[in-house]
Amino acid sequence: MKRTIPLLISAITGFVLIGTAFIPLFVDWGNIAMSWFNLLAAFAFILGGGNLLKMQLQKISAQQPGWGYAAVTLIAFFITLFVGLAKVGVHPNVKFPEFAWSGDYLQEDGVFWWLFEYIFTPLSATMFALLAFYISSAAFRAFRAKNTEATILLIIAVIILLGRTYASVWLTGWFPDEFIIGESGIKYSDFNLQNLSEIIMEDFTTPGMRAIKIGIALGVASTSLKVLLGVDRSYLGSDQEA
Amino acid sequence: MQYRIFKLALILLLLPLVSVSGLSVIRAAEPPAPPADFRAEDVPGDAGTAIDLFWTLSPDDQPDLKPRKVLRYVISRKEADNEESKFENIGEPTYRVNTFRDSNCEAGTPYLYQIEAVGQESLTSKPVVLNEPVIASLQWFNLQRSWFAVFVVLICGSVIVFIRLARSGKKLKVRKIAGLEAINDAVGRATEMGRSCLFVPGIQDINDIQTVAGITILAQVAETTADYRAQLEVPTSRSLVMTTARDTVEAAYLSAGRPDEYNEDDIYYITDEQFGYVASVTGKMVRDKPAACFYMGAFYAESLILAETGNSVGAIQVAGTAMPTQLPFFVAACDFTLIGEEFFAASAYLSGEPQQLGSLKGQDFGKLIGGLLLIAGCLIMTLSSIQSRGVAPDNQEPTYLQSASNYIIENILGKGGFK
Amino acid sequence: MKQSTLIWTILMVAGGAFLLFQASKGNGRVYVREIPVEAQASQPEGEEQVYRWTRYQQVTEAEKGEPDVRFSLSRTLGLWVAAFSTLAIFSFLYGDNPIYKFTESVFVGVSAAYAMVVAFWTEIMTNLYAKLLPGLARITFYPDIDSTARPDYLYLIPLVLSILLLWRLSPKGSWIARWPLAFFIGATAGIRLISYLETDFVGQLQSTVMPFIVFASDGSLLWIKSLRNTIFIVGVVSCMIYFFFSIEHEGVVKYISRLGIWFLMVTFGASFAYTVMGRIALLSGRLVFLFNDWLGI
Repeated sequence: MKRTIPLLISAITGFVLIGTAFIPLFVDWGNIAMSWFNLLAAFAFILGGGNLLKMQLQKISAQQPGWGYAAVTLIAFFITLFVGLAKVGVHPNVKFPEFAWSGDYLQEDGVFWWLFEYIFTPLSATMFALLAFYISSAAFRAFRAKNTEATILLIIAVIILLGRTYASVWLTGWFPDEFIIGESGIKYSDFNLQNLSEIIMEDFTTPGMRAIKIGIALGVASTSLKVLLGVDRSYLGSDQEA
Repeated sequence: MQYRIFKLALILLLLPLVSVSGLSVIRAAEPPAPPADFRAEDVPGDAGTAIDLFWTLSPDDQPDLKPRKVLRYVISRKEADNEESKFENIGEPTYRVNTFRDSNCEAGTPYLYQIEAVGQESLTSKPVVLNEPVIASLQWFNLQRSWFAVFVVLICGSVIVFIRLARSGKKLKVRKIAGLEAINDAVGRATEMGRSCLFVPGIQDINDIQTVAGITILAQVAETTADYRAQLEVPTSRSLVMTTARDTVEAAYLSAGRPDEYNEDDIYYITDEQFGYVASVTGKMVRDKPAACFYMGAFYAESLILAETGNSVGAIQVAGTAMPTQLPFFVAACDFTLIGEEFFAASAYLSGEPQQLGSLKGQDFGKLIGGLLLIAGCLIMTLSSIQSRGVAPDNQEPTYLQSASNYIIENILGKGGFK
Repeated sequence: MKQSTLIWTILMVAGGAFLLFQASKGNGRVYVREIPVEAQASQPEGEEQVYRWTRYQQVTEAEKGEPDVRFSLSRTLGLWVAAFSTLAIFSFLYGDNPIYKFTESVFVGVSAAYAMVVAFWTEIMTNLYAKLLPGLARITFYPDIDSTARPDYLYLIPLVLSILLLWRLSPKGSWIARWPLAFFIGATAGIRLISYLETDFVGQLQSTVMPFIVFASDGSLLWIKSLRNTIFIVGVVSCMIYFFFSIEHEGVVKYISRLGIWFLMVTFGASFAYTVMGRIALLSGRLVFLFNDWLGI
């Protein structure tokens, strides 16, 4: 019973939105529903934030190893939250200076802006930059060609990598611009690394990606139907009381 | 006296200059020629709120004239039925543009449109008005999507039919997928080593179908960890995903008969932000050293950070995602990867329920239709190009094969609708 | 002292000395130009009210000596905090250490609160509060709302759904929180089914339909283009066959699906390599920040 009503809600909403895709007067209902979702997600922060607080407080009160870091997380969290919600240090909107809170919350020189500019942004960018190291270690380990598939992966990756850098000009730029067999239309220079990279991207990568996307579309359709028809109802939780 | 002569000379010198330049200014400032062939069409398949306007560019609208003779066109409209209404400016497309869409129409109201070309010094051409009023009509069904509706019905219908067939007891065989067979082994290994299993349901919210698929896989994995009595940790990046995942895992533990093993603190929220989340998860991986890591959902650039850190702690990793850009990294760094459609099929495989397996057959049917249509289309286009080789393309009636291949591309696979 | 500890201590002391030296030279400082702002009250009540404050705009070190330009302590502090945090994150590559753990904790706290603040101001305030109570919103946070704006009652629906969701926190009746989730999961399923089938199924098929053999306008066979088209079509079809679930990969199907997997491996290898340059560019961006903006080398 606890699952029946949600299943009905889910099914009706889903099938109605599938139908409205074909009715011009209601075709916007899907976008409106998704904009409401953003509001729900904003309120859901109360649940997530509450959970974060609970986990960190538990660590501190149980004096688990590393509880000091939990305290640091909490302090950073509360400072940022207070400063952002109260718009500390934010000047009012130039057009309406008598309204003290009319400025943008991310206005330059506000405390929240400082946290964003000097903590949040550099840390995100640095985590992103770590990928340069990770991608090299992944390449180094994965391309120890153990089977045919890995060998293909390795060879193609090397060709594309070289083709995208100056090394391609240095290594294969000397391939002559003449036709191999009379008027066949293939030149020696077509096999230089740069052109080879382009050929690989256009003629081999694109069909692969297309087939993956076609498969994904059918997978999405099937998953959506299973959810709407109630065939897969695991996301709703259980029928019984725990 | 000298000053007066000087002034006279200046005037005599300047007068012809001024008059010549004045004449040339007057000569240059002519209004541009009006555009021609002005026509309007109701936009098909809409709610009666838009009308498309087309015209041939004014003959003065040349790309290489300097200074330009036509700067822009001015479109105005008035209600045709209303005697007192006047033409009101509704848009000003720039030069070299010959279409305009008026998206603020009311359905069922006849409108008259007028267009003028505007040149230098705001001189306008003669206005050109439509011969007869045009009405934007509301279409209840978007006929442009009629063939698409056929596809939707076919594919959804096949999934539903096969689910029904499977329910009625028909046996369905599916091929093996290595990554899914490995999940049980991975969980068993984790239990033996006394280490935990980590499940990451992607970093998107529950309004992404990949997250929903990831959660359904979580249900199956949670049943396995409940059976094996292994510890399962699910750090989430969204509050709603945490809520849904908790319900899912609780239900899984209940149905595995181990409700006491369920610990809701094992499913927790970290932060919404992509790199903050992954910094925390990788830190945890390095400290707690899980023996099995499952990445099932939508990922972006952080996919490689997760997978490489998992490798460095020696975990077995099974990944599944439908993000084509992240698949290469998972394939390179994880032990098993579910590629695209395999990821959506995973929950059906793991549950083993006949009706879920039936949905897989429905997906296969969709691929069959798509593949046959593709091959048929390619063959028709090939035959058409063989047939019309060497023939001058203009002024010929399109052959049967040419119109067939056009129909496939524009109507069946495009927005042409039934025609 | 252990050898490794000694080496690390020497490195740290040397590094610290170098930083002090750079700082004393005047590197790693941020300069700003003061721009006084004068704003007129939009609704003068009797006397004209003029509010004044100063805005600061960051300028390059080259403009150090100019009249309005002065040293900004808060931004300089920020720059050094950013630089040390960057180094702390890089230290993770060597192994987990207290500095990284500290930085990670700060990052998690700040980013979690950041997301909440953004959601509060952009969604709850702008899209709910301002839409349902425009009058009140106008006199508190959004004075630029039209004074004739009427409440948009459609937004009551997401408000109700959110309240139902928060019922989860209550000890009784928390199952009602499933209703909004079911609504949105159903909505997601319906919307995504249509959008994926349209762009990724029908759309991809439309782009792939092409002739196996192509002729030039003079009737001659363009065999290179024909070869490329054929490879393309064979690639798509063989990958699709690989993805079939109900056929076992035996016999003919085995070879075709092997071909499909090879196409996929080429795809993945190419994508992988394509991204490498981009990631290295990210790293060089951070190094530029450290060496240029902070250390001034």
